Amino acid sequence: MAIVSLGEGLPVPPADELARFVIAVATNRDRNAFAALFRHFGPRLKTFFMRGSMSAGLAEDLVQETMLSVWRKASYFDPGRAGVATWVFTIARNLRIDHLRRQRNPADLPPDPEEEPQTLEDALLGAERDLRVRKALSGLSPDQQTIIRLAYYSEKSQTEIASELGIPLGTVKSRARLAMNRLRALLEDEE
Amino acid sequence: MTLHHHATDETLMRYAAGTLAAGPAIVVEAHLAHCSACRARVGDYEALGGAVLEETEPTQLSPTALADVLSLIDGESSEPTAPPAPLEPVQIGRVRLPDSLRGCDIGRWRWIGPGMHMSRIGVPHDPDANVILIKVGPGRALPDHGHVGTEFTYLVSGSFTDKFGQFKVGDLAEMDEDIEHQPIVDEGQECICLAAMEGKMRFNSFLGRMLQPIFGI
Repeated sequence: MAIVSLGEGLPVPPADELARFVIAVATNRDRNAFAALFRHFGPRLKTFFMRGSMSAGLAEDLVQETMLSVWRKASYFDPGRAGVATWVFTIARNLRIDHLRRQRNPADLPPDPEEEPQTLEDALLGAERDLRVRKALSGLSPDQQTIIRLAYYSEKSQTEIASELGIPLGTVKSRARLAMNRLRALLEDEE
Repeated sequence: MTLHHHATDETLMRYAAGTLAAGPAIVVEAHLAHCSACRARVGDYEALGGAVLEETEPTQLSPTALADVLSLIDGESSEPTAPPAPLEPVQIGRVRLPDSLRGCDIGRWRWIGPGMHMSRIGVPHDPDANVILIKVGPGRALPDHGHVGTEFTYLVSGSFTDKFGQFKVGDLAEMDEDIEHQPIVDEGQECICLAAMEGKMRFNSFLGRMLQPIFGI
């Protein structure tokens, strides 16, 4: 098995290895493959949820729910549509939305979009898209990358971000707009 | 379908990140169903979410975390789940509404002024959501208004024109708080819009100011 290092001491399986793990879970209910996915994504998901102002305990609960969904929905994974990280992200995102909605109103939840049939017309090869997007993200300045990450971690408004970082709201708004424009330009360059 | 008015990149990113409020998300989803260009952008922003997740530094899980999930898996039945029932189209009267309204309570049309009807939409998973359908006769003006937050409007049928151009079926109008506009419905056909507001609507006309306390929008 090929291993690339992120330089953090933790070996990270490359994207195609992760895709093979998901396919092994889907076709053979392979527990070792599932454990490998868990070890890779579980700790990252925990940080991801905690950044959205969840307690460590709640974050662990959502990690469990996310990974349980990975097990159940492995057969829906389509490597042509999304890379594994993107697929896991969308599952985690939907569970976070459900969780926040349950807090507000425990009644009806809308049907899970993951279960709906997908159209083929957008099927840019998932792994390629992931690579293109990753390159674009790394082309941003560290400040701009932080702004984009914050947008994914929580639904904090720009006003809340401004007071947290101790900078004026206007500055946050103009920085966010610059980061968006730069990102869009980089994405289009990579197309 | 060639559409001329789209969601902004900021909105599509918030939709992909899962941080767009339920009301605006319903309206944006209605547009996405008709717009492959915006769907492709949502795909990019979901991939960006994947990249952000991948680069997020790990936090140690409790020592039993993996074993806990594996034991949950053991308790799973391997019975295949029943296929979901076929979905009925969402309608008001005979007008087909976007599928993103599935599960919502669609109110009856109520007369709110000459040639103007409104239906309030109840969003079960977000009782605070401000979502309405508005039906305006040909040649008539929609109530003159500004907004406290961003307003998202999807064209269900007909068309209207304001200073930004003509909006047709499938188009999305996204107007932020600084914008004051006066859409006029084009001649020949009534126009039905699905609108969601992030904040409260701020009507400028006398009629609008009368409606605001009545409908709480």
